[in-house]
This record gives sequence, C-alpha cells and structure tokens, in this order.
Amino acid sequence: MKPKERFLRRLKGQDVDKVPAGCTTAYGVVDLMKRCGCERPLADVDPACMAGLSMAGHTIAGFDWVKAMGWDITAVSEALGCTLGEPAIDSQYYIASHPFAQSIENLECPRDLLSRGRFPAYREQFRLLKEKVGNDLVIFGMSEGPFTCAANLVGTDRMMRATIKEPTFVEKALDVTAEALIQVIRFAFSNGADYFCMADPTSGGDLLSPKSWERIVSPVIRRIVNAVDGPIVLHICGNIDKIIPSMCETGIVGISLEEKTDLKAAIETARARGVRVFGNVAAASTLFMGTEEDCYREAMAALESGVDFLAPGCGIAPNSPLENVLQLRRARDDFHQDKQAGRPESS
Amino acid sequence: MLPLEEILKKLHDAVVGFDEAGAAQAARLLIEGGYDPLEGIMHGLSTGMDTVGALFKQQEYFVPEVLLCAEAMNAGMEVLRPHLQASSTRTLGTIILGTVQGDVHDIGKNIVKMMLEIGGFDVHDLGNNVPHKRFAEELARTDADLVGVSAMMTTTMMGMRSLIGMVKETKPHVGVLIGGAPVTREIAKMFNADGYADSAADVVGEAKRVMAAVKSA
Repeated sequence: MKPKERFLRRLKGQDVDKVPAGCTTAYGVVDLMKRCGCERPLADVDPACMAGLSMAGHTIAGFDWVKAMGWDITAVSEALGCTLGEPAIDSQYYIASHPFAQSIENLECPRDLLSRGRFPAYREQFRLLKEKVGNDLVIFGMSEGPFTCAANLVGTDRMMRATIKEPTFVEKALDVTAEALIQVIRFAFSNGADYFCMADPTSGGDLLSPKSWERIVSPVIRRIVNAVDGPIVLHICGNIDKIIPSMCETGIVGISLEEKTDLKAAIETARARGVRVFGNVAAASTLFMGTEEDCYREAMAALESGVDFLAPGCGIAPNSPLENVLQLRRARDDFHQDKQAGRPESS
Repeated sequence: MLPLEEILKKLHDAVVGFDEAGAAQAARLLIEGGYDPLEGIMHGLSTGMDTVGALFKQQEYFVPEVLLCAEAMNAGMEVLRPHLQASSTRTLGTIILGTVQGDVHDIGKNIVKMMLEIGGFDVHDLGNNVPHKRFAEELARTDADLVGVSAMMTTTMMGMRSLIGMVKETKPHVGVLIGGAPVTREIAKMFNADGYADSAADVVGEAKRVMAAVKSA
C-alpha cells in the first residue's frame, strides 16, 4: 500500500496495513535542515528551500506524509498585519506586535490576502512538492486557527478578557480571522493540499474554559469547515480532555493532541463521532529532552492505545535530535512486525 | 456603618465575581468606616484572590476569569493604597520576574506576578523576551531573594538553563523558580532550578518554600 493510499484510507476509517507515522505539526528540526542543506532562514521563505525541508521529513525522518506552508503558525497573522520577530536556524518566527490591541475598527480581511507575506512562496512550494511526490505522498497545509490568529492581532490578554466582557469585539475579530482562514484553506486545497491542519493553541484548555470553547470557538471552526472543500484536522496543545467532544462536533475529520490529554479516552470519544486521532509523543519532554528509548517507548504506547496516526504531540522543537524523531517510524515498523509475528505488542 | 466583617465579605465577593465597581465601592466603605485599609487588603481582596486561585486550580475559573478578578482586585487596591501606613507594607521577599529571552508569551507570567504580589512578595517584573543581561543587571541592582522565569515554547526553554547557571554563578544564595507550558518538574531539576510550579495557583507556596530553603542553606 502506498503511503498516500494508506493515509487517505485511514482518514476515512478504512482498514490499512500499517498505522501511518509522521508529523501533522511543524518539523523545522535543525538536524534535518543540516542533513538536507535546506536551513532557516531560507527554509521559511524560499520555495525550493521550503520544499527541500518538507521532503526531508519523508526521505530522512521517515514520515509517511509531508508538510507545506512553513514551520510556524504565524503566516495568516502576518498577512493580517502582525509584525514578526527574526527567525534563526533554531528559532521560528514569532509574533512581535499586536497591531489591533487598541482598536479593531480597521481590522478587515484584505482582498489581496493571498498576495501578502509568505503566501506567494507557499504557492510555489506546493507546485514543487507536487512535482516531487506525485501521487505517492499526502501533502498537508497548516496555519494558526481563528482564535489564535485573533489573539495574535489584538493581544492574548485583551482577547481573553473580551471573551467575557466584550462579546461583539470577539465576534468581530473572529469574523475577520475566519474569513481569512477560509481563503487560506481554499488556497491550500486548490494548490494541492490533501488535508489542512489548523493549530489553535490559544483556545486550549490551559486558557479557555470548555464552556467558552463551545460558545465562542466551536461555531467559528464549524463555519470554516463548512466553507471549505477538504478535510480539516484541528490541533490544540495542552490538556483538551474536556473539549474533545465539542471539537469532534465541528465537522473536522481529525484531532491532533499532546501527551497532557488522555489519549485512550480521546480515541474513544473521537471514534464514536467518526473522527481520527493524531498524536501524541511528547514534543518537549520526550522528542527534545528524552532519549531514543524514551521516544520509542512513548511511540509504542501511543500505537498500543490505538492512535490512528502516530505523530508528535506538538511541533517538533528545532534542537530535537534526529535520532529521537526517527524512533516514530522505528516503533511503527516494529509494532506491525510484532503483530504479524504474533508477538505481544509490548515486548 | 457596616460591620468590618460585612465589608470584608463584599471585597472578597467583588473580586471573585470580577466586579470592579463593587470592589472600589466596598473599599470606600471600609475607609469611610475608619477601618484599617490593610485589613481590607489582607482579609478582603487577598482572600478573594485566594478563592480565585482555588477556583483556577479546580478548573472552575480559567485565564479570562482570573484576569478580570485581578482587575477587580486592582480597583479595590487603588482606593485602599493611599491610606496605607508605610510601615504596613512589609514584604516576604523580593523576586525578579521575566519571560526568557526570545519568548514573548507573558500571560502566564503576568498571572504569576499577580499571585506573588498578593502573596506578599515585592515583584520586579522585567517583562517578556528578557535577555540574560537584564536579569544580571537587576540582580546586581537589587537585593533580590528569588528569580522567576517562564517559557512557553520548547524552542526558548533551553535559555533557562544558561540563565540559571548565570544566577548561580553570580549570586549562589538566590533561588530560581521556573515554569511555563513545556516545563516539567523533571526539566526544572535537570536545569538545576530550585523551584517549579505547575500552575500559577501553586507559585506562592513554592516561592515561600524556596526562600526558606535557600536561606537555611
């Protein structure tokens, strides 16, 4: 079974020969950049360099699918007006200003959104990637989600307070970011993305209450999903136990979660709603700080829990050792070999 | 004139109910009644924030609620502060606080700052994306007991390790507390930090523990 067929079948809940193993978040890993010669800062802005690093995820790190659209979650916010901090080889772009902290009167989704910032480069990156992978590998696009984008534009502090005291402010900000995301996701699908991952960490369980998520974020995600023609995966970091049922009711096809969330419970909740689960090897304490054995063990535990797609729980930290990242693929291959040989899975 | 207990309850409830106007009004009642403003802070506003901290820990309150409760507390503080005697503002200790270099996420750090201030610490907040040099300058300038650093990203978290090294080299008796989304107790230990708090609700207890530990060392 080709990786693309395996991935797409799994996404539809059909039988596959192996659990797809890869990364549905960013993999701007320094070791990987050095090995393939596609390093930041060029790997953030130059289409050929971006595509080179995307492909290294498959050819060097062993991922079953590849990522387009950069190595951070700031591109939509940038196109809407945020300025960014300078990246370095081991440091991704970050939001340096909140241009609408004082007033959102002039906040709007511009007509030329997709000609702004890095989007022209992403278009070319998609073309180059399609040329390289043909019909063999899945390509996904990714950006920040609507709540995170709005918090970037107005400031997280302001956005948080407004969720309780200024509902029209929140509505207006999210209306603009939802419109922008619809354009961005349509752009990704029309340029060759097979699925799109929205990362909305600022709406996560460490910040917003489950009730607020249901009331404020859920309708916006639903609106975006309904307006685009392709599968959406939603990634939220931290402990999201309590919002998984709401997330699964938005029309998304998959959720991506990290180790702070109860994986087994998440799988059970998601499966009952026809939603697949990506995760959940810890990006910080395991892939970055842990040993190869730690990574292998955690990957194996995720497989034994029945995860649909084996992946890191969050974006892979730039200084994570490549050998650690490679344990995902190794654990997946061993898991299926053991299964075929009839050995106990945990041996 | 209302009895003190009743006014203290009003202060407490205004904070918990994020009622800014109510907190200011209750504070004015306290002053008009001739009561000690420190009582209002310690047994009204602070106990209100203690309740907020507990609700936060129980996941009844989240970040938006805590931020609004803090606004209500500040509204009460503004009324009471001018009436405080200078001698009544004793502190438990001084802490230099900041988000590690390269990291601009400061919402958690700001909540920690508020908790520490309520808990009786004098907080020198250096803001976000703070270079090690700024921490060193502030350490040299003040007689701080503690340094508190946060990171929200695995990419910036490593900067804490060298910062802790720098603090220990220049001021070995100063305790360092770290926290933030990617940080765990194991990582704190690995980085040689003296203290770690999983949540802003735990930070005051941890700061007191570290203060006692470094002082007795």
